[in-house]
Amino acid sequence: MTRKILEVASLTKVFGGLCAVENVSFDVDEGSITALIGPNGAGKTTMFNLITNVYQRSDGDVLFCDESICDLPANKIAGLGLVRTFQSARVFPGMTTLENVLTGAHLHMLAHPAQQMLWLPKATREERDLVAKADALLDLVNLLAFRDVAATDLPMGAQKLLEVVRALMAQPKLLLLDEPAAGLNDSETEEFAALICAVRNNGISVMVVEHNMSLVMGVADKVLVLDAGRLIAQGTPGDVQNNARVVEAYIGQEFSPQDGD
Amino acid sequence: MNEAIQIAIGGVLLGSIYAMLALGFSLVYRITGVINLSQGAFCVLAALTMYSLNVTFGMPLFFAALAAIAFTTAIGILIGAFTFVPGMTRLSNSNILMLTLGLLTMINGVMLLIWGSQPYSLPPFSGEAPVVLFGIRVPTQGLWIVGTTLVLILCLWLILFRTNLGKALRACAENPAAARLMGIDVKRMTLLSFGMSALIGAIGGVVVCPIISIEFVTGQEFTISGFIAVTIGGLQSFGGAILGGLALGVLTQMTAGYVSSMFSNGLALGLLLIMLLWRPNGLFAPALRKREDVREAARVQVGIVRLQGRQGWILAAIALLIAILVPHIVSYGMLSSLVITGILFLAVIGLDVLMGWAGQINLGQAGFMAIGGYSAAILVTRYDWTPIPSTLFGMALSLLCAIVLSLVVMRLRGLYLALATLAFGLMIDSMTVGLTEFTGGPSGIVGIPSFAIGSYVFATPTQMYYFVLALIVTIVLLLIGAMRSSFGRALQAVRTDQMAAAALGINVPVHKMAAFAISALLGSLSGSLYAFFFHYLSPEMVGSVRSFELVAMLIIGGEGTLVGSVLGVALLTLLPTIFQPLAAFKTFAEGVLLVFSFLYMPQGLFGTAVIRFNRWTHQAASRITPSVSAVNRGSV
Ligand SMILES: Nc1ncnc2c1ncn2[C@@H]1O[C@H](COP(=O)(O)OP(=O)(O)OP(=O)(O)O)[C@@H](O)[C@H]1O
Ligand SMILES: [Mg+2]
Repeated sequence: MTRKILEVASLTKVFGGLCAVENVSFDVDEGSITALIGPNGAGKTTMFNLITNVYQRSDGDVLFCDESICDLPANKIAGLGLVRTFQSARVFPGMTTLENVLTGAHLHMLAHPAQQMLWLPKATREERDLVAKADALLDLVNLLAFRDVAATDLPMGAQKLLEVVRALMAQPKLLLLDEPAAGLNDSETEEFAALICAVRNNGISVMVVEHNMSLVMGVADKVLVLDAGRLIAQGTPGDVQNNARVVEAYIGQEFSPQDGD
Repeated sequence: MNEAIQIAIGGVLLGSIYAMLALGFSLVYRITGVINLSQGAFCVLAALTMYSLNVTFGMPLFFAALAAIAFTTAIGILIGAFTFVPGMTRLSNSNILMLTLGLLTMINGVMLLIWGSQPYSLPPFSGEAPVVLFGIRVPTQGLWIVGTTLVLILCLWLILFRTNLGKALRACAENPAAARLMGIDVKRMTLLSFGMSALIGAIGGVVVCPIISIEFVTGQEFTISGFIAVTIGGLQSFGGAILGGLALGVLTQMTAGYVSSMFSNGLALGLLLIMLLWRPNGLFAPALRKREDVREAARVQVGIVRLQGRQGWILAAIALLIAILVPHIVSYGMLSSLVITGILFLAVIGLDVLMGWAGQINLGQAGFMAIGGYSAAILVTRYDWTPIPSTLFGMALSLLCAIVLSLVVMRLRGLYLALATLAFGLMIDSMTVGLTEFTGGPSGIVGIPSFAIGSYVFATPTQMYYFVLALIVTIVLLLIGAMRSSFGRALQAVRTDQMAAAALGINVPVHKMAAFAISALLGSLSGSLYAFFFHYLSPEMVGSVRSFELVAMLIIGGEGTLVGSVLGVALLTLLPTIFQPLAAFKTFAEGVLLVFSFLYMPQGLFGTAVIRFNRWTHQAASRITPSVSAVNRGSV
């Protein structure tokens, strides 16, 4: 039996009068790719914000590796191995692409700031190894040519990829991706799908919000469908595609939009 | 009893002025989202203009008042159009705050040039004889003040809530982007709010001039008091601003009357800190709930200043070589100025770590210089400590203050942090002046010996020069080591996006505190050395004006580069030495350069030079492929 890495139990979030997430429960299996889909405004991003405690929950609980993380500050949650990206790519302005990626490794720096200050060989070596690792990752997503460019000067799609790479540098156990493929063209999206699979095969569980159905249906082991804050279906991609409620939720929208938003 | 009432009336009068200023603050804040620190200067400008028109040119008082108000408002609109409005479109809110600080300094500098530093006062509008109301004597000017305040409040209310213009102004306050879509000229509204705040300031200055004497620095005090008032009342509420002003006026007058005026400053500042802690949104405003997922400052400055590895070292070596040779070629007086440059540079490096890297504004850095300077001076002259332990003691004390202060302001950001540090600096100011038996009061401490290590005394400027140079090189090397690795990256992440930083596991409060601690330690060290070098220390050497100057030096030189700010320090320290006649222009130049840097040279002298240099060597350019440099050009 596979272990559950994330368990969400009757999670609820009310904004003023609006119930953005209503009594939602689901699990994420260790080593799987879980997709969270739903029409615009369904509450997907809010769900991520609740899991990472960016928003205070109204009710419910979130367990990560069997531990409640609802009341931990965001940086502690990241420290436990749950790292997320943001829907509006939040690369750090004023830093180059490479520096952005290196920032992701913050949790795993062995050298103490005092050792860095003194230019000790240990710190210098660690820094050099990190740069090599970051370069390799940037190469993987074809961003190596831009390593010394201001990250905010990259096109949107590249910024989102950069954010994913930055999150990977944090060596998460579970990676939450909010619309990572928005802004990528078809061939780039395919490459990205391969990247997500590679990440999963390296033992990192992934939960991804995505509007691109071919991407979702291609890579996900399990799909969760959110509509107006409620979880209306979950199951394998096949199950969900044939679910009447899901089709209904998407009525008025094209069922397989090729690109989000 | 009667005395209490008299004091209370004095408080209400003073409070009315604070209330007017607070209204101006609140107005600009609500429409543009930023605080306009230059407002107090318009008060003083109007008052001094009225004085000149009346006394020098013999204009009748009443017309002089009207003309002064009109003149000041016109100047305000002019300044707003050329600085504030363009600044609003390209600077982050905290940089706008410092831009207005630059404006305050600039106007102060102009007034210093025109009117000198002596105090001025004018006769009351309607004669000296007080009127008696219900058996209480009220100076007639008081009626003018209260009446004007009431009329002003009424007019403002009518404009904002009963006209279309007001509707447009309020729309800008709610959502500038949406207002723009609705066809509202946001720039004009911004200018209008700035002009209105100048007008309010001018009216306040004119009516208050007869009851308090005015000099060029009074503007600063007005700004600060108005600011405290609006923080107490709540930036979001006009009613709150008025009540905050009155409360502050009465409270300070009461303490001044019954305890001491030294204590009343401290009380006002203590009140500010408590308010910032307890209800940062003020007493009368409901806590405003913003969508938390929206990035706070969209207009963060993004200039990247990097020297490629080897080039950097070569240039640094050349600079160091020049620095080592310099004492052999310059005059004695010049060498002293260079030592001062070095000592101040230490404080600015600290400020750079905090502001340039961690993005936290500190308007009270001289407060730490004061702690360091006075600790050293007192321990050495009074208790026969040797220089090193007394310097270390000062640093420990500064560290303690920094930790306490950062715990206090931990939850605050940008604006409020700037204000809390300003309050801290002012509090230290009033302590250095007020605790006479310790600090020697305004006349300061004399007879401080030279710095010494063991029995080696750094008695001459040359010795001191090399000592400071060695210190700077060591500290810069240490900090570069930290800043080029994870610590520096974490600070930069905190600077631009705290939420994304936390999502990567960066402990935001701890990093802010560490940056603050470094800043305080270096400030304190600089203050101690300053005292040892001058053999003398007085409050204004390490007062709030110095804090502003340090910020100006940092911005002019270039933030976020550790070494770049030396250019700013040198410019503002050496120029007055080289061209003696220019010394009087110092305040003015500081303000102008600060404003200019923010608007046209956001990377500062150093950053601009490095960017030019990089372009010239094509080092950076060759790495950028054509597509990205196209994007580059498109977005900048
Ligand atoms: N901080 C907030 N305050 C008030 N309402 C909010 C807040 N955050 C989200 N909402 C509301 O909650 C609902 C869900 O929003 P959410 O951003 O989670 O949707 P989403 O599923 O991510 O949509 P999209 O596909 O467009 O990204 C929306 O109606 C949104 O307006
Ligand atoms: Mg979303």
